[in-house]
Amino acid sequence: MTSRDYLGEFEHIVVLALLRLGDRAYGVTVRQEIEMRTGREVSIGAIYATLDRLEAKGYVKSRMGDPTPERGGRSKRFFQVSAKGVGAVNRTHRALQSMTAGLDLVRSYS
Amino acid sequence: MKSREVRPPHVAAWLVDLFAPADHAESLLGDLSEEFSDLALKSGPSFARRWYWRQSVKTVTHLVGTAFRVSPWTTIGPVVAGYVLLGFGFSLPERAIVMVLHLRHQHVNPYYTSSQIEAYLFWLNNGILVGRLLMSLSIGSIVAVAAKGREIIATMALSLLLVAPFLVLRLAGHWPNQPFLPSTLIFAIGNSLMIVVGGDIVRKNRSAALHRPSSA
Repeated sequence: MTSRDYLGEFEHIVVLALLRLGDRAYGVTVRQEIEMRTGREVSIGAIYATLDRLEAKGYVKSRMGDPTPERGGRSKRFFQVSAKGVGAVNRTHRALQSMTAGLDLVRSYS
Repeated sequence: MKSREVRPPHVAAWLVDLFAPADHAESLLGDLSEEFSDLALKSGPSFARRWYWRQSVKTVTHLVGTAFRVSPWTTIGPVVAGYVLLGFGFSLPERAIVMVLHLRHQHVNPYYTSSQIEAYLFWLNNGILVGRLLMSLSIGSIVAVAAKGREIIATMALSLLLVAPFLVLRLAGHWPNQPFLPSTLIFAIGNSLMIVVGGDIVRKNRSAALHRPSSA
């Protein structure tokens, strides 16, 4: 197992947002989901750059939707986590759990 | 009904379109447009415009940063190659034009009339200027082809590399008796712009090629 099998912090957040959103996952919903759950304002450019990287690694797949008038006639790009992506999330999650196990983070470090 | 007439700021949308990779530009601009419309309805057009500008600036900054951070060689490599090409290619138009003019005027040499001298100087000056602009356009296109998906970022970096030494010299006090923008600097800016235009032509062609199969 190499370090590439793990997800970076923001990659992890984006993949989790895709999993939560299911077949409704595209730029706007992903950005809003992250903003709502983490309270962190992210740019659409950051989301796309991360999704592009995840797609290149084979963790995410994308497909184009139909153009809609409220988007100025532009299409949506829907994203979906691949089986390889789910594996990477699980590995990253287990690694984080293993690293935090036994640490009383709130009491010791606040 | 009124909010439907509100449109995102053109300059901000143009900037995002310019810097976004061809395969993401459509969906990225569509997403910004969709959120802009929602915000214009909920919070008013001026709030939505401010949001759009903030998102655009952050997006462009992120795309430029990512291009150099994630795949530095596909961005820096073409820029360095383009700079070398500029070094070799810049004297070519001058040499070609001088050669053509000398061939053309050989039969009257050495008895030039004043009108012939004027014509000679006109073609010499303007021919070299146009030749160099076309050379910059071609090199910009070559750099853009090599910098797949990062056409504008690579050509802008090259044009900055070309114009920066002149700007530094100007700010350091060179050409003291000339206007703020001496002809050397105007010339460098013109060539820099043509490099970016070359990059934009390649980007538009690439984007058109990407959309052709999906519409079929």
